[in-house]
Order: sequence, then C-alpha cells, then structure tokens
Amino acid sequence: MMIQKSSEWKEEFARRLEKGGPWDNWMLYKMAYEVVKDQLITDFSGLQAPKFLTNIQFLEHQIDAARTVIEKMNGKAILADEVGLGKTIEAGLILKEYILRGLVKKALILVPASLLTQWVDELNAKFFIPAIGCRKKNVPFEQYDFVVMSMDMAKRSPYREKIYEQNYDMIIIDEAHKLKNNKTQSYQFVQGLKKKFCLLLTATPIQNNIFEIFYLVSLLKPGHLGNVESFQSYFKKGKNGLQEDEYLKELVNQVMIRNRRQDTGIEWVGRHVETIPIQFTDEEKEVYEMIQQLKERTSVFANSFAMTTLLKEMCSSKEAAYLTLVKMKEKMQSRDEIDYIEEIIEKMSNLEINSKAEKTYEIIQKAKDKVIIFTEYRATQHYLQWYLYQKGIKSVLFNGKFSKNKRDWMRQLFKDYADVLIATESGGEGINLQFCHHVVNFDLPWNPMKIEQRIGRVHRFGQQSDVYIYNLAIQNTIEDRIIDLLTNKIDVFEKVVGEIDDILSNKVEEPIYNSPSFVPNFHFEDFGLEDQLGFT
Amino acid sequence: MIAEQIHHYLRTFFIETNCKIEDETSDYLTVQLTADIDKRIMNRPFYWQFIESTKAEPNPLKVTFITKQKENLNIRGEYIHYGSMRMHQIFQATKDLGCFVQMYEDIEGASLFPWIGANFKVSYHTDQTKELLFSLGINLIHGSVKSDFQDILCALQLTDELPKNAYCLPYIVSPMRAIERLETAIENYIANDDLSWADEAKKRWKREQEILDHFYEDVENKPEIYEIEKKALEERFQPRIKIEIVSGGLFYLK
Repeated sequence: MMIQKSSEWKEEFARRLEKGGPWDNWMLYKMAYEVVKDQLITDFSGLQAPKFLTNIQFLEHQIDAARTVIEKMNGKAILADEVGLGKTIEAGLILKEYILRGLVKKALILVPASLLTQWVDELNAKFFIPAIGCRKKNVPFEQYDFVVMSMDMAKRSPYREKIYEQNYDMIIIDEAHKLKNNKTQSYQFVQGLKKKFCLLLTATPIQNNIFEIFYLVSLLKPGHLGNVESFQSYFKKGKNGLQEDEYLKELVNQVMIRNRRQDTGIEWVGRHVETIPIQFTDEEKEVYEMIQQLKERTSVFANSFAMTTLLKEMCSSKEAAYLTLVKMKEKMQSRDEIDYIEEIIEKMSNLEINSKAEKTYEIIQKAKDKVIIFTEYRATQHYLQWYLYQKGIKSVLFNGKFSKNKRDWMRQLFKDYADVLIATESGGEGINLQFCHHVVNFDLPWNPMKIEQRIGRVHRFGQQSDVYIYNLAIQNTIEDRIIDLLTNKIDVFEKVVGEIDDILSNKVEEPIYNSPSFVPNFHFEDFGLEDQLGFT
Repeated sequence: MIAEQIHHYLRTFFIETNCKIEDETSDYLTVQLTADIDKRIMNRPFYWQFIESTKAEPNPLKVTFITKQKENLNIRGEYIHYGSMRMHQIFQATKDLGCFVQMYEDIEGASLFPWIGANFKVSYHTDQTKELLFSLGINLIHGSVKSDFQDILCALQLTDELPKNAYCLPYIVSPMRAIERLETAIENYIANDDLSWADEAKKRWKREQEILDHFYEDVENKPEIYEIEKKALEERFQPRIKIEIVSGGLFYLK
C-alpha cells in the first residue's frame, strides 16, 4: 500500500522549536482542531456537500443521482434526466463532493457557448466553486483550477493542446448528445482527453439511432457496450428482439442516470399534445405536387435529400421554399427545366393563403394566452411575424445566435409586451419560458429529441399550469412521413433508454416498414435509420 | 454550523486575531481588519503587492459580515455562511494561524512534565475517500502515549507563559524523535485497520480494466488513447493513504 507522509508540519515545528517560537494563539489552535474535526469525511459513502450548500433546496432525485454516481458508478456517468429536472444541479453537487473529498483539484467544464455564462454563474453563486469562464483568446486558463469553456473553442488549436497538457481530475460535458458522432472533431477531442472522473449531460442520449448511445457510452467507458465490431454485428443484422433490447438497456443503465418528471415526486403539470392535421388549399396542393414532379423534370433534384428539404420547406411556407427554388434554378440549364421551375415560382408567388398560418392564428385566438411558435426556417419566421402583425398580433423573434443580452431582452419583451414568440430551432436550448403554456410546432424536425427540447422550454420545473403542444402536419405530404418516422425513433429510444413524455399525440400502431402507406421513394439511409430498423 | 455558531465563531476569530469589532448585533458584525487578516481572507493580492512595492500606507478593509439574512435588515454587507467562499478562507486562516503552540499548565510553583501533542489526519483515498483524525500525546520523559490528547488538553487550564515559580523538567526523548514514535503508532493502527476498502477498489479497478481491454481486444497496436484511459483508471482507483499532521505543540503539564 502506498503511504504518503507529509513532512511540512514537522519541518516548520523543528524550526520554531529551535528558535523558541513564534507560537500560535491557543484559542485559534483549538478552533482549528474543531474545524478539521467538523469537516472530516468520516465515511466512504454519503454526501458531504449538502451541508455546505444550505442555500440550495436539493430535490430527492438530485441527491440520489449524486450518490449513485459516486458510490455505484465510480464517478463516471451520463446524466440523462428529462429536460428541466436539474442536471446542472446534479453535476455541480457531484463536482463539489469530489472537491470536498480532495479527489478533484482541477476540473474542466465544456458547454455550448450560449450556456457558458449560466454555468459560471451557477458554479460560483450556488456551489461556491471559483470557476472562470474562458471565452477570450488571452485568458490564461491553465492557471485556474475550475474552467468553463465552450466546446467549439476547446476543440481548436491551441486550446486543444493546452487542455491536453493540463491534468484535469474531472471533465463535465453539457449537451453531450452533440458527441453522438464519432467522426466529428469534438468527439475525437474528448476521446483524447484523460477522463478520470467524467460526467456527460444530455436529456436526449439517443436522437436518431442506437449507435449514438454506443458512441456516447464508449466515450465515457470504452468497452462497456463491447467494441465497435461486436456492437455492429449485434445490431446490424436486425435480429435484435425485445430481449436484446432489455439487455442493452440494462447495460446502459449501469452508466446512466435518467430521472423522469413523473418519478421525481413533484407534482408536474400536465402535458397535452395534439397533432393537428391540416389540408392544403387546392392552390397550395398544386404547387406542392408540381414540386414533387421536379424530380422527373430535372437532374438537379436527383439527390433525394435536396428534394426532401424542398418539400419540407413548402409545407412550412412558400417563403422558405422560394429561396431554395431560386438557388436550384441557377443550376439549371435546359429551357424546359427553367420554364417549369419558373412556372412553379409564379404559381407560388400567387398563393395568398398559408393554411398552416391560418390554423396557427386560430390556435392563438383560442388560447387567449402567450404562445411560442417553433419553425425550422428563418424565412417562415419572418413571414409569420408579418402575417400575425396584419392580424393585430404582436410578436418577437428569437434565435440561438442572439447574444445573452439580446436573449434576455427578447424574453422580457415576450413576457411583458408581445403575445407570441417565434423561435427557430437553434433557439431551443438554454432559455426558460415557464410563463408560457402553449407551444406550436409549426413544422417538425426529423429528430424527436429536438421537439422534446422545444417543449422543455415551457414544460419544466417551475411551470404552474398545464402546457399545450400543437404539432401541425399537412396531410398527404412528407409531413405524414415525418410523423411516422418520429414515432419510430421514439420507439427505439424507449426500448433502449426508457420511457419519455408524450411528444406526439398518438402512436402509430403498425411499424412503418410493414405499412403499405410507406412511400417507396423515401430513403432511410439519409437519416441513419436503416440499421436499427433492421432492413437494408 | 448554524447561523448562531458562525456568528460566534467569527466573533472569536476576529477578537483573537486583534481585529476590532466596531458594530455588532445578533445578525451581523462590522470589523476593522488588520493588514494580516485582510491579506488572508479578502482576496486582493494586487492591492497588497502595490502597497508593498510603493511602501504606501496600508489601508486594511472594514467589512460587515451578515450572519443572518433578514428582509428588513438595513445594512450593506456580505452574507456569510458555512459554505461560502469567505467562510472557507476564514477556516483556512484559522488553520494556518493555529498550527504550532507551546503551552503550560497554569499552576503556580508546580513541576511540569514536557509532552508533545500532535493531531494527525489520515486519509484513505481511491475513487472514494475516508478520513480519520487522531490526537496523540507523548510524554518526553518516559515515552508513554495518550490518545484523545486534545480533549485532555481542553480540560486543563493552559497559559502561554511560564506560571510563577513553576519548573519545567527538561525532556529526555527529543521532540522530533517523539513525533516519529507517534507516526509509527499511527502506521501500526493503519496496518491493523480494516483495509477491505482497498481490496474493493482494486476489484473495481480490475473490472474496469477488463472492460477497457475488451474494447481494444483485436487492436494490435493499441492507440495512445488506450494508454490515457489506462492511466486514468490507475489514478482513479489506486488505493493510497496519506498521513498528515495538521497541528501540534509542546506542552508542559503537571
């Protein structure tokens, strides 16, 4: 056994004996002894940190999570609580505990740039951990023990190299689902980091496919889910029945903590999800169908992904589709192609009604309350603002590229002044809008977890009343298929990770790959799904 | 420590360190710090560096520490509580200033025996921690050892000046030799203590190492990250014991 004896005290004592002093104050001597005794860690298990953090009202599941990570998972874990249950609090608590126990002296916290200030504030003000935020070039972060940095900055030279030189005892990564792809620079950067104690925070450990959880777990604990080949052969053959899923779920749960709203013992307000089918007007339908036929008319749309994007845009607004069409037109050569696309553009500009926008207006009127609208497209965002303005509804725009100040300002404007907030996808993370109870998903992303993140802005701790979610989908268009696909992804998530709160209103009973309504020109490989669904 | 205890602690600390308490209620205290305490607890190294290099007149801070937060408390100050950074610094200052003593039992005309008292902190570390505190005393004439020595000392009346007509017996065992004897006693204790925690940690270590090896099973030339992971496992699970003397002194007791 390794025994380290520190000789510091002895040397100084010998020096003072020799010189006959100076000697310390007896009262302070007694007090110091009491402090040491009081702060002694008398047991391997249990948490010391809460008694230092009386300013925080910890919830039971947060304390349990911290204990489980420290006592059962040996300090390496994925914290995957549902949005709004306080993953940051859990991570802070665990870090504090390790600091108090003398096991962590230096820690690095990697976060999205938009959450950096929030992390620094919380660590300092709530946990009394002297963390610094490193967002400028010339911060000598090596000299600090607790550093919060954006992932984008950390993965680049020269920060990357400098970070590798540091000997961090603990690494915390927020929004860790961004590390789902092992080919990315971020993933490889984190892979090369020494992770003695490590926490990965994400509400959505699986977004699209089962391999994401494999890569996430392999980052934390390589080998826990086997190696790449064995995992692949296991899941690629499509033989995985329910039993294998159970087995995988069990393995994943050895390194992952996932609290759900309903098991926290707190009264959660209800979540009402409604998928609202919408009919195109005849004119809209005509344009949509013409776009669908573009594929036969021109080679520019041979790429199914471009086609899918354009159809999705058309389901959102003509404004969103217009830009893409114009760009496509530039690539076209033959007169025929150009004539056809110009015809579409002309028909499109003549459209006077956006069926979805009208439905949205209806929802806003019925709600008689503040409403958030999420769209994936900036053009739709601006169109909606204009449209609602015509109807006498005040709205503010929001997107993730806003600075912290602007975000706070927009949030305040929305709270005090406007009726509607129109946000793009990237506005989904890191804002809390508990004062709002209605969310309209104007268009749907491919990834169900993005919708969960959106809903999580309002359905979170602190929300006082029930929340209402409206998913708009235009019938007999690509949006039908998006809904099917989302349902399937949710299914995979639930099998491997665990149940999640309602995102879509009703589940499709029949899996899509057996469904006759499944449209053949839809390509699964574009979305990385073919493997887990078991067909190639 | 609850608010009252913190308040009491602060008051004692400032009195003992010669900082003048200028105003006090049960909710707060206002203190004129000395230069030494200012340096230890107020985090302003640049100021002190400036004063020292320019030889200017130092101007230590006057601070109000609020120990109980109340809504109608009409005073500006810093809220201080058990977990706050400032309290942490004050605890640290206490430890730094209460490390080495020489004390006499306060009895006039007595013959006093020399003792060494030392407080040992033993830490067991793996991926988890446990600490033990031992207060031992050793008689420097016949070498007998007493445990819970701090409690014994606290029950006595002690003074830092030689009492009138008291006589201190010269020691036979040298103080440094005595400290080594105490260290040996601690090591003997550890050797007989339940060390299953270390075996458990080694088992966890082994299990995690196997998982890691499995990941790179078929890889002939193991990449650098394998070595990094391996090193991290060692640092996390390697059982180690630390022995540290936190405070101690020379005591003359009857």
